[in-house]
Amino acid sequence: MKQLTRGALYVGLVVAALTFIYPFLWMASSTLKPPMEVGSLSLIPDRATLENYRIMWGRAPFGRALLNSVLVASTITAAVLVFGSITAYAMARLTFPGKRALNAATMAVLLIPGQLTLIPLYTLIVQLGWIDTYAALIVPYLFNATAILMLRQFFLQIPQSLIDSARMDGMSELRILFTIFWPLTRPALAIVAIFTFMGSWNEVLWPLLVVRDQHTMTLPQLLTVFALGGGAGTLGVSLAAAMVLVVPVVVAYMFLQRYFIESMAGAGVKG
Amino acid sequence: MPSVTFDRVRKQFGDVTIVEEFNLHVADGELLVLVGGSGSGKSTLLRMVAGLESVSSGTIRIDDRDITHLAPRERDVAMVFQDYALYPHLTVRENLSLGLTLRRVPRQEIARRVAWAGGMLGLDALLDRKPKQLSGGQRQRVAMGRAMVREPLVFLFDEPLSNLDAGLRAQMRIEIGGLQRRLMTTTIYVTHDQVEAMTLGDRIVVLADGRIQQVGRPIELYRRPVNRFVAGFIGTPPMNFIEGRFGDAHAAFVADGVRLALTGETMSAPSAAPITLGIRPEDLQLVFGALGAGESTGSRLTGKVVLVERLGGTSHVHFDVGANRLMASVSQERLPVVGERIEVLVPSDRVHLFGADGEALARGM
Repeated sequence: MKQLTRGALYVGLVVAALTFIYPFLWMASSTLKPPMEVGSLSLIPDRATLENYRIMWGRAPFGRALLNSVLVASTITAAVLVFGSITAYAMARLTFPGKRALNAATMAVLLIPGQLTLIPLYTLIVQLGWIDTYAALIVPYLFNATAILMLRQFFLQIPQSLIDSARMDGMSELRILFTIFWPLTRPALAIVAIFTFMGSWNEVLWPLLVVRDQHTMTLPQLLTVFALGGGAGTLGVSLAAAMVLVVPVVVAYMFLQRYFIESMAGAGVKG
Repeated sequence: MPSVTFDRVRKQFGDVTIVEEFNLHVADGELLVLVGGSGSGKSTLLRMVAGLESVSSGTIRIDDRDITHLAPRERDVAMVFQDYALYPHLTVRENLSLGLTLRRVPRQEIARRVAWAGGMLGLDALLDRKPKQLSGGQRQRVAMGRAMVREPLVFLFDEPLSNLDAGLRAQMRIEIGGLQRRLMTTTIYVTHDQVEAMTLGDRIVVLADGRIQQVGRPIELYRRPVNRFVAGFIGTPPMNFIEGRFGDAHAAFVADGVRLALTGETMSAPSAAPITLGIRPEDLQLVFGALGAGESTGSRLTGKVVLVERLGGTSHVHFDVGANRLMASVSQERLPVVGERIEVLVPSDRVHLFGADGEALARGM
């Protein structure tokens, strides 16, 4: 009976897994199919070809866009981790005047929808003369309230005596943060990193507003412009472009999934 | 070796005073124990010496050097924390050497000190383990080693044994005492456990509500507590107290079911004022039949036994005298049974008297 239940459970899980993975596999295989075949639901192309990728690469600067995306997303991720954890450390572990107000203000930032700040931010970028620059893509995202509050929550769980001990050992606050707190909150940092990276990687609206030059465009932006503008021509070419967009995120996830699942399970810091 | 001086040290959080004007001199190589209940201010005092807590007013000096406003790393003191505070992601060796690396101590010197502390504390085989792989006692030793390798001017211990089980606690207590005597480093040791205080301290400071209640050698605190708080705090099992008043023009103590003759000249508390009599459980003697030779003289109480706890070597006899429940700690073979009426001898030279304000009443013996 027990084995039967277990068997049924596995069948259920396999069906669910297939449901989720099939569209992805279909997309991956369709990029390798010639135009006549793209409509079919099979996962194995009859005549595999890289034609779709060749066409895509030739029609727009996708290589450059890929580099742009990597640059923008990694800079933002690194900045959010560094600045976010410095701010979170101060908010969690230091006493200073205005600390409560700062906490409340950070919390309040979460309540403001991004669309609301879009226009003022755009005006600001125009006045700074940053249109068509990397600065326009990166600077507005260097700080992230969600990341700060999340890291703060993790930092609060580290025992005070570790900080005391490190101070007596002669560490500065920054050193305590990077040599004691960072190794102890790796799952939290990983989840912040992956969310930030994915958020930045997939962002389309903001780049569409501030970047018009094809050579500064990020990958999803170029892809959107390319697909909506009819540049792709065939479905296979569109899918090939989507594939280029999705692969780095999948790879990053595979590397970080251990931390991802750990922090989702709320393991956090172990004493 | 240096001394530590507290000069009118105060600590306040907003309107709340944690430590009242605290004056004390800790001598070279002395092991001073700060003991008190929670909220007594003992840990705050220690953290002020460490530099982990600011001082509201007054000064703290190590020898002649004013350290009141120095950063923790500039004070040359090392602290052992209650939860050990070992860095979980570093090995024992790295935990021991980190403080030295940060102080730019040459590598060979670090290796020498780590080997020295490791040998002294029996950590040699554990140097490449992480704290998670150690037992409580081993972690405790690493924490001590980390303080030792720094070769600081002053050791600070913040309840270092309270996370250990009873057996290990007794063992580590002996080790800490032995280590301190060998190194002769000036040490301030905070605990809430009066047994630790009595066994470890060269001198003990009893604290309550941020104020010094009494400072003295352990035996002084035990024999001559200056107030009821100290009397009740020092000594296990705790002292018996009976509320009453003077009778017979200060020559006797009178309470419900109790009349005890007092020897010596009791001082001048008003006759009617309430007073408290204190007597340690180990000073009470059960009397069976006539007074034997060698038994000291004193008044007798008659009580009814409510509980007898046999601990092996000693036994605790709980009995009621009027409305008061008292306890005698005796080592004799013959013990009363529950419900039995017993005679208890109260040696008059072991009696403590406290006024209504809790202060000890000076008595000529």
